[in-house]
Amino acid sequence: MPTIAELASPNPGYSYAFLDEFAKRELRRRILKAIAIPGYQVPYASRELPIARGWGTGGLQVTLSLVGPDDVVKVIDQGADDSVNAANLRRFVARMAGVATTTDALNATLIQSRHRIPEERLQEYQTLVLQVPDPEPLRSVEHDISKARLLHAEADYGLLWLRLYEQLVRYRRVTLGASYPCVVNGRYVMSPSPIPRWDVPKLHRAAHLTLLSAGREKRVYAVPPYTDVRPLEFADVPFRVEDQRGWTCRHTGLQHKFMSELPQPGGGTLYEISDTGFVEKVIARSRAAEVSIGATYYDDAGRFYIDGYLR
Amino acid sequence: MYVAARGGEGAIQNAERLYRELIGHFDAETVRTIERAMPYLIDRVMGEGSLYAPELAALALAQSGGDLYEAVLMLRAFRSTQPRLAYARVVDAERMLVVRRISAAFKDIPGGQVLGPTLDYSHRVLDLAVLEGEPTTQPRGHEELEKDEPFESLYLRGEKNHLPLVADWQRDAGLLPMLPVHPCQEATEIPDVTREPLLFPAPRAMRLQSLSRADTGGVLALGYANMRGYGAVHPTVNEVRLGYADVEIVHPITGEPFSIGRVRVTHAEVVTAVEAAPAGNDASAGEPAKLQLALGFCATVGWNEVKTIAGAMLDMAMDLPDPHPSHTEEYVLYHTDPVESSGFCIHYKLPHYVTFGSELDVVRSVGAAKKVSGLGDYYGDGSGLAAGMPGVYSERATPPVSEAAGEQV
Repeated sequence: MPTIAELASPNPGYSYAFLDEFAKRELRRRILKAIAIPGYQVPYASRELPIARGWGTGGLQVTLSLVGPDDVVKVIDQGADDSVNAANLRRFVARMAGVATTTDALNATLIQSRHRIPEERLQEYQTLVLQVPDPEPLRSVEHDISKARLLHAEADYGLLWLRLYEQLVRYRRVTLGASYPCVVNGRYVMSPSPIPRWDVPKLHRAAHLTLLSAGREKRVYAVPPYTDVRPLEFADVPFRVEDQRGWTCRHTGLQHKFMSELPQPGGGTLYEISDTGFVEKVIARSRAAEVSIGATYYDDAGRFYIDGYLR
Repeated sequence: MYVAARGGEGAIQNAERLYRELIGHFDAETVRTIERAMPYLIDRVMGEGSLYAPELAALALAQSGGDLYEAVLMLRAFRSTQPRLAYARVVDAERMLVVRRISAAFKDIPGGQVLGPTLDYSHRVLDLAVLEGEPTTQPRGHEELEKDEPFESLYLRGEKNHLPLVADWQRDAGLLPMLPVHPCQEATEIPDVTREPLLFPAPRAMRLQSLSRADTGGVLALGYANMRGYGAVHPTVNEVRLGYADVEIVHPITGEPFSIGRVRVTHAEVVTAVEAAPAGNDASAGEPAKLQLALGFCATVGWNEVKTIAGAMLDMAMDLPDPHPSHTEEYVLYHTDPVESSGFCIHYKLPHYVTFGSELDVVRSVGAAKKVSGLGDYYGDGSGLAAGMPGVYSERATPPVSEAAGEQV
């Protein structure tokens, strides 16, 4: 018969992966619902974590409720593994769940990210958790959450289309930057979190599961694998990703990956690929190290891997 | 495999060490001193942290160097790891041990006005002599107070501190509507804002729970706006009540209720005259509208008069027809959570260069609309845009975006 000591948690101060089992169970149920209704925002209780609210606590709760001892976790912020908050979140997950961590996107089973999707195509064995500051794509046209929920229920996205049209009339183009609204599975409009437009197509019919979680706003939603994700676009005015043609990464010499812009003293600009895990591998390979670099969403000429998706 | 400390990881460890240097050493004695010397601060942190634990609140204050939002976050983060072991029985306000209770609505009230401990009627003059080593100036009075006697014990003698509620007198007099039958018969049925998502319109329990753990400053700001003139009414403080309440649970074996401890609590009620809902039958048609009193309520653990008075005003404002946009339930409850609002505010310090880059892309392309038209296929082609559009675009001045901004070095 097992003894009490054996049954007791090895870390009596906190549950495995910090959250207690009730919190995990609640969140897992909400996640299942989110997967069942792609793009629909499922409310959840959202526990306070020992990380400031608004600093990835939504993504972190999802990560903590999914992580197990065999997982390998990668955490990025703006594409960078060594960004200060990403480092802190990774340290927390590793400490509370005792999991291995990695900077290699393809080695990770669980990737928590703020504002980016890696450049290498994610696979079926992977889950991407995106941190969401504001889950409501209708916020700019309807502040009131109760009313916005009604608009979603009725699939009434007229106000959003009108906003896009007004931008066109005024500026000759849609002036939305990051967080570009998209239609998921032909039904719900969702905010893909503040990823650049460059990353939005990566969600379309992706092999991996994407979970989007807003801790402060207490909403979780999902893009299940192989689900249609279409940015809002007019038939005659196609969606456009950021125009970074001609930008060359100062570390790798590559083009056509999402770049960060680095202003230089005295004017001028240098560029570097924002996905630091990818850069790491490209550099290692250039030094003849054995690394496996996966196929990327955009090829070296900037063509997206699904023909005809970007018009 | 663990990724070795890189730039970011080393930096955050150093930053935390510098912080520890700054706030200096503290120990159990420091924590006890804070708990003893700053009861109102402790109460504020416990109320906003929604955890009654004076010692832990003091520890959080010591550990955060007195940063209130950080202290509240620490307490909440600790709280969210704690299991719910039992449900306390409803606290009957009449059975509270009242330390202080004031009604502005009547000159005297059943049970009397009890000033209790307060600075309200004192001169807020710095006691500079203390800095010279003199003892604190003691006002005369209250001879019963024995040296070193715990404050609480003053109020635990006999029944004299169980005072009736002003609102009950008003209900008996037909001035206030009677309390509805409580919708939750079992404590386990009460919606819990820490375990379930808050949706609107919120159950009354969740509204009061949210106000109870709300940011004092936030509730004050919105409540003050209401009092100053954005509210339609001028409420009167019916009763502010501070005291000790027994936390009673039912013994799991004997089934007998017993007290597991005593907590400091505050509640505030405000009243105002509002138009009574019409009876809705034909007989009432054509009769003049009736007025009745309506009650706004707020309670919290710990002693915090400002928050509960402002919260009670807001509770009332939310229920009035057509409230100011900043006094709707959704607006008030979403924007007064200390952890959420402060966390989101400071999150703007995090790097945003990806989103900013995306925005710059838009700024540049709008600024150089002519330049981007006719670009290649996969970035999207702006040339189709002009077709069918009014001709004003060609006449528009180019916005002041530097031509050189996009140039590569």
